[in-house]
Amino acid sequence: MSETILKVRNISKRYRNTKALEKVSIEIKRGMIYGLIGENGAGKSTFMRTIMGLIKIDEGDIELFEQTGSKGLQHARRKIGQSIETPALYPDLTARENLKVQAANGGVSEREIDDLLRLMNLGNTGKKKAKNFSLGMRQRLAIALTLITNPEFLILDEPTNGLDPSGIVEMREIIQRLVTERGITVLLSSHLLDELSQVATHYGILHDGKLIHELSKEELSRETRQYIELETTEIQKAVVVLDELEIKDYEVVNGTRINIYEHIDDVAAINRSLVLADVNVLRIGTTRQKLEEYFLQLTGGNTHA
Amino acid sequence: MLNLLTAERIKIIRSKKFWIVLGILTILPIMQAVNSQITVNHGKELVQVIDTVINGATGILMIEKNGLTVLLIISAFICFFIGEEFQNGTIRNVLSLGRSRIHYYLSKFLMAALVSLFGVIVLTALGMISFTVVFGFGEVAEINHYFVFAIKSFITLYILILANVSVYVMIGFLTKNSGISLIWCFLYTIATGFLPDIFQQTSHFKQVTEWFTETFLFYSDFANPSHIAKYPEMVLVSLLTIVVSSTLGILCFNRTDIK
Repeated sequence: MSETILKVRNISKRYRNTKALEKVSIEIKRGMIYGLIGENGAGKSTFMRTIMGLIKIDEGDIELFEQTGSKGLQHARRKIGQSIETPALYPDLTARENLKVQAANGGVSEREIDDLLRLMNLGNTGKKKAKNFSLGMRQRLAIALTLITNPEFLILDEPTNGLDPSGIVEMREIIQRLVTERGITVLLSSHLLDELSQVATHYGILHDGKLIHELSKEELSRETRQYIELETTEIQKAVVVLDELEIKDYEVVNGTRINIYEHIDDVAAINRSLVLADVNVLRIGTTRQKLEEYFLQLTGGNTHA
Repeated sequence: MLNLLTAERIKIIRSKKFWIVLGILTILPIMQAVNSQITVNHGKELVQVIDTVINGATGILMIEKNGLTVLLIISAFICFFIGEEFQNGTIRNVLSLGRSRIHYYLSKFLMAALVSLFGVIVLTALGMISFTVVFGFGEVAEINHYFVFAIKSFITLYILILANVSVYVMIGFLTKNSGISLIWCFLYTIATGFLPDIFQQTSHFKQVTEWFTETFLFYSDFANPSHIAKYPEMVLVSLLTIVVSSTLGILCFNRTDIK
């Protein structure tokens, strides 16, 4: 069984009368890319900040790299890299100088600076100050800062926020490269499930400070995959026809509806077989539940997501 | 802690604000020497009790002469030095690495103290040089052992400044914002600097004012033997201010949520 990187149990955080987090429990194992999804104000950033010790929790336990207690967590946090919301940079320093500062903060050598600048396509920024960087460049520099201390666990809060489509693709590639090449475990957040679905291996859905659902990539693709929706008044006869067609992956949803998950391109052939078998077909066609619809369904239809 | 200080050193050297502070503290004594020369040329005589610095020897009292200016400049620098870490979010880069908040607070205080020390050394050295060039080195009246007097006076004056640096650092960490801390630091400096003048008129509040370092800095004549005798009291009040403000600052910072 793979090592647990982060285990939080029933953590809660309250700001005056607002509950920012309510009994949230999450376990992240080594190698996972855990996507935290939630609309703005759902508690994603608060959750990440509690892990990094930036805000104090009111109740619950945090276990990081199997360490607990304030001293243990403080020690374990040396293995974390983070970029929360807007990139935290020194605007009057160059990319190299920003990295030098972070290397000093982490007490690590400056040897990797050149490699990181190249890795993040910032090698040719020279004396350009961070305040003159584009948002994409700042995001990439923020990731480079997190990597200078050689973290085993990376926490990225909305890393694609404000980026253009090419920037989003680039950021996605960087994250995937970090996981495959450096074996880093990642916790990242977004309010866009569609975007997260392209990188994450596991998902946690936060809503109003509560973790309302957790699922793996496979479960998500099963929940949101394309399928044939068949409506008929004769379910049993339809099932016999599907068996004859050697269709095994289907689900009888209710007394009039069957969802068929294979032979998606053979709608016409399936319909013909049903009609030939004298099955009364009310409607047949392919359908797909969009990721965003799935998310809205879970969160009760908040349109901000 | 050493790692944090190394990081602070990189930031300070590249900080425009640091060079502006240093520039002001460099130009100020030279301009004052020239101004004093113009005053003398207009037939006025410099009086140590009023003008504080009248020759190279009294140049050691440049901090006393420029007390308010030094405090306002240093407070502005500290407010940006700390506030911008919160506003840029860069404080997260340090604390999320598991660095102790106490170490972070102390590294900021230590850097602010070093910048202040460097600044007042430049101010004093250039003050002594420029006043010597214009008026000669001369002497300090009623002082027999100048070197001992100079060392004691400079250290006492710096410790009085340091006590204020400690309060400014505390305000910076409490407010977490450059602009707001700037307002509070200015209010603190002006209030503790000018209110004693009013309170000292009454016998009831006179004692209270002596618990604030500005009272010594603004209302003492550091060349007067009766005031020189109060150096230990000044150092004691300063050290108490440093301990109380730093303890309060660290306690509050430890409980603060970083956004």
